[in-house]
Amino acid sequence: MKFLLFTLLSALVVVFLNIVAPYWVVMIAVTALAALIRPTVWGGFLGGGLGMGLVWLGQTLYISAVTSSTLPDKMGALMGLGSGLSLMLLTAVLGFILGGCSGLLGVMFRNLIQKKPTDVYLG
Amino acid sequence: MKYISFFSILILTCALGVLVSLPFGQIPPLAPLLDPNHGFWQNSFSEDQLAEESLDLENLNAAVEVVYDEQLIPHIYAENELDLYRAQGYITAKHRLWQMEFQTRAAAGRLSEIVGPMALELDRMTRRKGLAYGAEKGISYLTENDPATLALVEAYADGVNQYIAQLTNARLPVEYKLLNYRPEAWSAYKSLLLLKYMSDMLVGDRDLEYSNLKKILGKVNLDRLYPDFPIENDPVIEKERVWDFTSSAPAKPDSLNYPEETLQLEPLVQPTEGTGSNNWAVSGKKTKNGNPILANDPHLSLNLPSLWYSMQLSTPTHTVKGATLPGALGIISGFNENIAWGVTNATKDTRDWYKITFQDASRKAYKYGQEWKPTEFRVEEILVKGQETFLDTVVYTHYGPVVYDQSFKADRQDVNFALRWIVHQGTSNEQKTFIQLNKATNHEQYTEALKDYAAPAQNFVFASKSGDIAMRIQGKFPLKWEEQGKFFMDGADPRMEWQGFIPFEHNANTLNPERGFVSSANQHPVDSTYPYYVFDNSYEHYRNRRLNRELAAMEQITVEDMKGLQFDSYNLQAEESLPVMLNLLATYGSSSKEAQKYLTDLRAWDFFADPAKKGQTLYSIWFAETAESVWRELMDQGAPVVRPNNYQTIALMRDTPEDAIFDVHMAEGVQTAQYHVRVGFDSLLVAMKKWESKEGDYGWADYKKTTIQHLVPTFKAFSVPDVYTGGGAGILNATGPRHGASWRMVVELGSTIQAFGIYPGGQSGNPGSRFYDNFIPIWAKGDYVDFGLKKKGDQKGILFKTILN
Repeated sequence: MKFLLFTLLSALVVVFLNIVAPYWVVMIAVTALAALIRPTVWGGFLGGGLGMGLVWLGQTLYISAVTSSTLPDKMGALMGLGSGLSLMLLTAVLGFILGGCSGLLGVMFRNLIQKKPTDVYLG
Repeated sequence: MKYISFFSILILTCALGVLVSLPFGQIPPLAPLLDPNHGFWQNSFSEDQLAEESLDLENLNAAVEVVYDEQLIPHIYAENELDLYRAQGYITAKHRLWQMEFQTRAAAGRLSEIVGPMALELDRMTRRKGLAYGAEKGISYLTENDPATLALVEAYADGVNQYIAQLTNARLPVEYKLLNYRPEAWSAYKSLLLLKYMSDMLVGDRDLEYSNLKKILGKVNLDRLYPDFPIENDPVIEKERVWDFTSSAPAKPDSLNYPEETLQLEPLVQPTEGTGSNNWAVSGKKTKNGNPILANDPHLSLNLPSLWYSMQLSTPTHTVKGATLPGALGIISGFNENIAWGVTNATKDTRDWYKITFQDASRKAYKYGQEWKPTEFRVEEILVKGQETFLDTVVYTHYGPVVYDQSFKADRQDVNFALRWIVHQGTSNEQKTFIQLNKATNHEQYTEALKDYAAPAQNFVFASKSGDIAMRIQGKFPLKWEEQGKFFMDGADPRMEWQGFIPFEHNANTLNPERGFVSSANQHPVDSTYPYYVFDNSYEHYRNRRLNRELAAMEQITVEDMKGLQFDSYNLQAEESLPVMLNLLATYGSSSKEAQKYLTDLRAWDFFADPAKKGQTLYSIWFAETAESVWRELMDQGAPVVRPNNYQTIALMRDTPEDAIFDVHMAEGVQTAQYHVRVGFDSLLVAMKKWESKEGDYGWADYKKTTIQHLVPTFKAFSVPDVYTGGGAGILNATGPRHGASWRMVVELGSTIQAFGIYPGGQSGNPGSRFYDNFIPIWAKGDYVDFGLKKKGDQKGILFKTILN
């Protein structure tokens, strides 16, 4: 549950915050969100990664669809990547890694400051 | 354990975040570039998708309305001139910011700041030519003498700067993202610098080559092979023009000594061949509707974003439309409700070199007559990306800067020549000329506007609704004695000085000539009766004659006829030389099947350089190879020289094929023109064999491969290669592989002005926009878009509207 919630909220943070803020502010926000929700370690990484990666992918798809611009293909050729499609994937992968690491960091941070609750239940 | 994993992830994440924000060599920072909300993806939107109903522009006296037509041409309606130019700066920056910034950085010799040490040599060269020095003097001149114009130039700069201040990362032009830098503030100085840069693009000199040629060939042969006037001179100002004034030119001093060493320095970079232009106006008596028609097509490097940006500029008292230069105020080639005007380069040797004799190694003084004159040192600080700032000391004499010296291109020891060039003088005011021309309503005001114009010299064509047509060759031309400045001069001899300037009234001009038209195509400005010395190496000999022949023969002229003439692809040089060459070739090589095929193509050719014509391809290679063979020995003397022009070469081949000039000393026997024509033909066969096996078709457009290149040549994906279009050098449609008609305009000055224009590019500077290159297919076919004046409130054909307040 927490994983799904975190993925969804990360995605929303990227959608709304990224419009006004650069990627590194978004990373901090995803970290904070992960610390707040505290999914599992893997959940933090995957949730943050999917949240940011999928939104970035979706945004590139959306921009390509509404503009039908040749720019992605031109940029692909310029950067030696072939087509705009590979740039789209590169953008998604970059988003995934940045979001994933941020999510993971958030979880780690929460784990660090919070005492293991196991004692309470075992007691 | 928890601490270790937290801190390792913290370090990893931070390192990652930082890493993707850093450039690696030529690779720009990845995350800012790829971020879909701020990176290059955002540059995919076309301007109409980002249309704003209103934008903030401060310091306006009243709101300004900007109406874009379907081609994204802005029509700016302002209440006064200050608002108008503030808005022009703002709107131009909105669509062309990167380009205007890049061009002025190049003009200032500041490219190293952006691209690093690879541009250092170029920057040093630019600075040593003194462009920035000239622009600085231009600003002080405006401050002291023309605060009104300066205020307008500053309003424009303010408009640009307000746009830069509002610019978000998302809207930042993609070139900044790729090259990883930000725009800096614009200034009045930069606008002036841009106009100096135009001089640099358009003005050349061949003092070095002619000095060498005089030494190699001797004066007699030099004059024979490089005559000042061609046999069939068809000048800009019609031959019938009578000069009703006495020349104030000085007499040639006796017994002058020229610097006589064998000179082997590298010549200054020259304007590329093919840089030129056409303009003309026909009077009402030759047109179908009885209205004057004016046409202009400047030929320049074909680049993206295009050098030109179209606009209409309106205040309650005037409305003007045409092509602007991003960075400069007003319209450069265009029309208003009363007049139309256009420009072509008025080639004339206005750049001279003086040998400087320094007193000693400190270079603090140089010889001038009997005295030693003090020099000035100007230290150029060149910031270099990724390296320490480079300091370059340039010595200035009263002539101008010493371009090459011990620290720069010191191929030989005494390279100390000073460059005398009109752009170093601060006393010109080109910006005022254009602002005045934009508002001029008749011939008198046009003439008045040109008084302030110094460089680069232009043939200003003119037509008015009231029925006048005119041409004026305007620039500040030094007064010279016969042959002054054709060769290197001795800076120590005061008699070698420029003797002042040709008075404005004596600059060649004509109004309503009998023949019913005026025209210019970079040919000789005047015939030999003009009482001042006129010289340049690069005068045109073909476009002008084709143009004047056609104009003289035409009657009942329409706008369509004039469009057709701008796109005319008739190769007059081929008409005059191919029969001579075929005749000299005789039956040579005719046994080969390939040769037969090419000769059939050539004989069947009608001399039109249309895109599919094979004859044009074959002729262009054959002639080039023949001329190469004729002048090979001259060119191989180990010193830079220029070849006699094609017109002269062809005249020699036709009239004196046995001339000693054709003899090749290295070869046995005696060679004539026939020998070179045959060598050229053999080379043609070799070249064609290679071409046909590699590329196949040799239709002209496929062979020529016209390319419209992005200003950063390595950004190949932003260029448009292989444009299918005809024309070539020496042809009215002068479109070659990299040069050609950079703007075409035809205006009929009737009761309602009919105007059409096109340029090989698009209104947007953004490679992602649909308006980036949408004009190119129209241009390639010789078509135009409607450039009629729009009144405020016209609802037809509007893309969107923005209010600035």
